[in-house]
Amino acid sequence: MKKIREYMNRDLNLSILVTLTFAIFITLRIIIGPSLLSLNNIQSMLFQVPEFGFLALAMMLSNMVGGIDLSIIANANTVAIFTAYVLNGQLSFGTDGAARIILALIFAIVCSLLFGSFNGILISKTSAPPLIATLGTMTLFQGIGMAVTGGASVGDLIPEFSMIAKAKLLELPVIFWIFLGAAVIVGLVLTYTSFGRNFYLYGGNPVAARFSGIHNEKMCISTFLLTGLLAGIAGIIILSRVNSAKVGYGDSYLLQTMIVCVVGGIDPNGGKGKVQGVVIAILLMQVMSSAFTIMSLSPYTKKLIWGIMLVCVLGLNHIIGNYSEYKKLKMSMKAKA
Amino acid sequence: MKIKKVDQFQKILLLIIIIYSILVSIKNPAFLHFETIFDIIRTSSTTMIVAIGLLVVMISGGIDVSFMAIALFGSYTTINVMIALGIDNLGIAFLFSGMIGIGLGLINALLINWLKLPPFIITLGTQNLYHGVMTTFISDKSFGAGVLPECLHEFGQGTIFKIVTEDGAVGLTISLVPVLLIGIATWLILYKTMIGRGIVAIGNDEESARRAGFNPFKIRLFVYAYSGFLAGIMGIIYVAQINALYPNKLVGNELMVVAAVVIGGTKITGGQGKIFGTILGVTIIYLLNSTLILIGLSSSWNNLFVGAILVVSVAITSYQERIKNRSHLIFTE
Repeated sequence: MKKIREYMNRDLNLSILVTLTFAIFITLRIIIGPSLLSLNNIQSMLFQVPEFGFLALAMMLSNMVGGIDLSIIANANTVAIFTAYVLNGQLSFGTDGAARIILALIFAIVCSLLFGSFNGILISKTSAPPLIATLGTMTLFQGIGMAVTGGASVGDLIPEFSMIAKAKLLELPVIFWIFLGAAVIVGLVLTYTSFGRNFYLYGGNPVAARFSGIHNEKMCISTFLLTGLLAGIAGIIILSRVNSAKVGYGDSYLLQTMIVCVVGGIDPNGGKGKVQGVVIAILLMQVMSSAFTIMSLSPYTKKLIWGIMLVCVLGLNHIIGNYSEYKKLKMSMKAKA
Repeated sequence: MKIKKVDQFQKILLLIIIIYSILVSIKNPAFLHFETIFDIIRTSSTTMIVAIGLLVVMISGGIDVSFMAIALFGSYTTINVMIALGIDNLGIAFLFSGMIGIGLGLINALLINWLKLPPFIITLGTQNLYHGVMTTFISDKSFGAGVLPECLHEFGQGTIFKIVTEDGAVGLTISLVPVLLIGIATWLILYKTMIGRGIVAIGNDEESARRAGFNPFKIRLFVYAYSGFLAGIMGIIYVAQINALYPNKLVGNELMVVAAVVIGGTKITGGQGKIFGTILGVTIIYLLNSTLILIGLSSSWNNLFVGAILVVSVAITSYQERIKNRSHLIFTE
C-alpha cells in the first residue's frame, strides 16, 4: 500500500488522470451499456483517434515551449489539399499507382516542413509572440488553401490511397499503430536525448536556456518544424480517411487539442508535461466524444461540456499545484528540523 | 492644445489604405459610390466597437477571445426577455446587454487572476462555456424580423443624414454615433484617468506597476468588464443591423478582430496600442473584405491578403521591439 502511495505521489497529475479516466469509463459504461465496449465501437473510435491525436501532439510540443500553435489545423488542411492535387493526377508528373502515392507522401512531408519552418523562422528571427505569429500564419495558410481551391473540396483521388486509413493490423487500425509509434518516439526523444533536456529547459525558462549555451533560435525552429510535421501527418490521415480535402475541416479541433493538453498535464506556461499524459487524455477525449455521439447530444451541449471541462481542469490543476508545493515546503521544513 | 502625432506605423497603414483605394477605384469606379463606402462603414461599425474593447485588454497585456460569445449572450438574452415581456425600449436593451457583458467580463477577470494562466486559453474556455450555457439553458431558437422589438428595427435602419444619388437615397448609418462616443470615452479613459495609466503600466510591466502603487487585480477587473460591456453594446447594434436574432452568429469571428487590432500596431505583450491604429486595422480588413470582388478576385483570396498583412505587420513590430531590447541588453527569450 505504501509503495502504491509513493508511486502515486511521484507523479500526482498522471495518477489523478488515470483514476479519472477509469471513473469516466465506468460511468459511461453504466449509462450507455455494453455497446460502448463492443469490438465494433472500439475499432471505430480508434479510427478517429489518429487525426486528432497528431494534432494534439503538435499542440503539445508548442505548448511545452510556452507558446501555442494556432496554425496546425490550417496547416493540416492545406497540406491535405496539395496532396490531393498530387493524388488526383493534376500535379502527379506522370506517375501512377504506388509511385504516385509515394510521391504524394514525400510532397506532403516537404510541404508541412515548409509551413513549420516558416512559423519557426518568423517566431525565432523576429521574437514575435507565438500566439499572434501563428494567428497570422493560420490566416495565411488558410488563405493559400482558399485561393487554390476557391473553397471547393478536392476529391477524385486514386482509390488505393484510402486503403491506408482502412487497413488493419492485429484487429486495430494501422493509422492507430502509426500514431502510437509517433507518440512513443516523441516521448523517447523528449525523455532520453539531449535535445529533449534542452527542450524542457528552453520551455521552462528561455532566458536561462540562452545563457546556459543553448541555441534558442535553433530550438525554436526545430520545435515548430516538428509541430508542422505532426500537423502534416494529421493532414495525410484526414485526406486518407475523408477521401477529399477542403479548407475548414475540423475547425473545432482547436479547442479540443487545447483541452487534451491541459488535461494531460501540460503547463501552458511551458517546461512541464509528459507525452503519456497527453496520450491518455486523447483516448479519454475520444471515448467521451463517442459517448456523446451515442447519446446524440446537440453540438451546443458539447460546446458547453468542453468549455466547463477546460475551465474546471485548469482550476483543479491550479489547486493541485498549490497543494503539492505546500507539501514540498512542509517536507523541507521537516528535514531541516 | 497639442495636435496628436500620427506615428510612423499608422502613416504606413494610412498610405496602404489610400493607395489600395486609388487602385480599386481606377479598376472599378463603382467603388467611389457613396453606397459602397457607406456600406463598408455600416458593416465595420460593430467590429470597431469590440475591437476598441479588445484594444484596451491587449494594452493591459491580456487577450480576450470570448467577447463575441459575450456579445451574443448579452443581446440574445436581453432581446429574448424583451420579447417575452413586451418591452420596446432601446435604452433598456443597451443597459441590460451591457450589464450582462460586465458580469461575464468580471468572470473572465476573476478566472485569469486566480489561475495565472495565459488569458487566451482561459477566454477560449469561457467563450465555449458562455455560448454553451446560452444555447443550452436559455434557448436556441432563431427570431425573424417580425417578432423583434420595433425600436431595434428603427435603430438598425436609422441614418444620420441622407444623400440623394441617381439610384435613390443612401444614408450614413446611425451606428457610427455609438462608435464615436465609445472611441472618445476610451481615449479619455486611457489618457486622462489614473486607471488608464494603470492599464498601460501593467501592460508594460506588472511588477513595476504594482510597486508604483497600482493594483493589477482591480485594473484587470476593470479591463475585462469594459471589454464585456462594449461587447454587450455591440451585440444589440449587430442584431439591429441584421434585423434578426440567431443563436449561432458572431461566435467564430473573434480571431479576425484580434487580427485587426494587431494590424493596427498593438503590441500583444502589452503597453502599446492606439485607438486610431485599431480603427485603421479594422478598416483595412473590411476594405479587403468588400472590395476584392470589385477588382475581379473572388472572396476566397481574402484570407490570403489578410494573413500576409498580419504576418508582415507582426514581423515588423516584433523585430523593432527586439532590436530595441537587444541594444539595452534585455533578453525576453
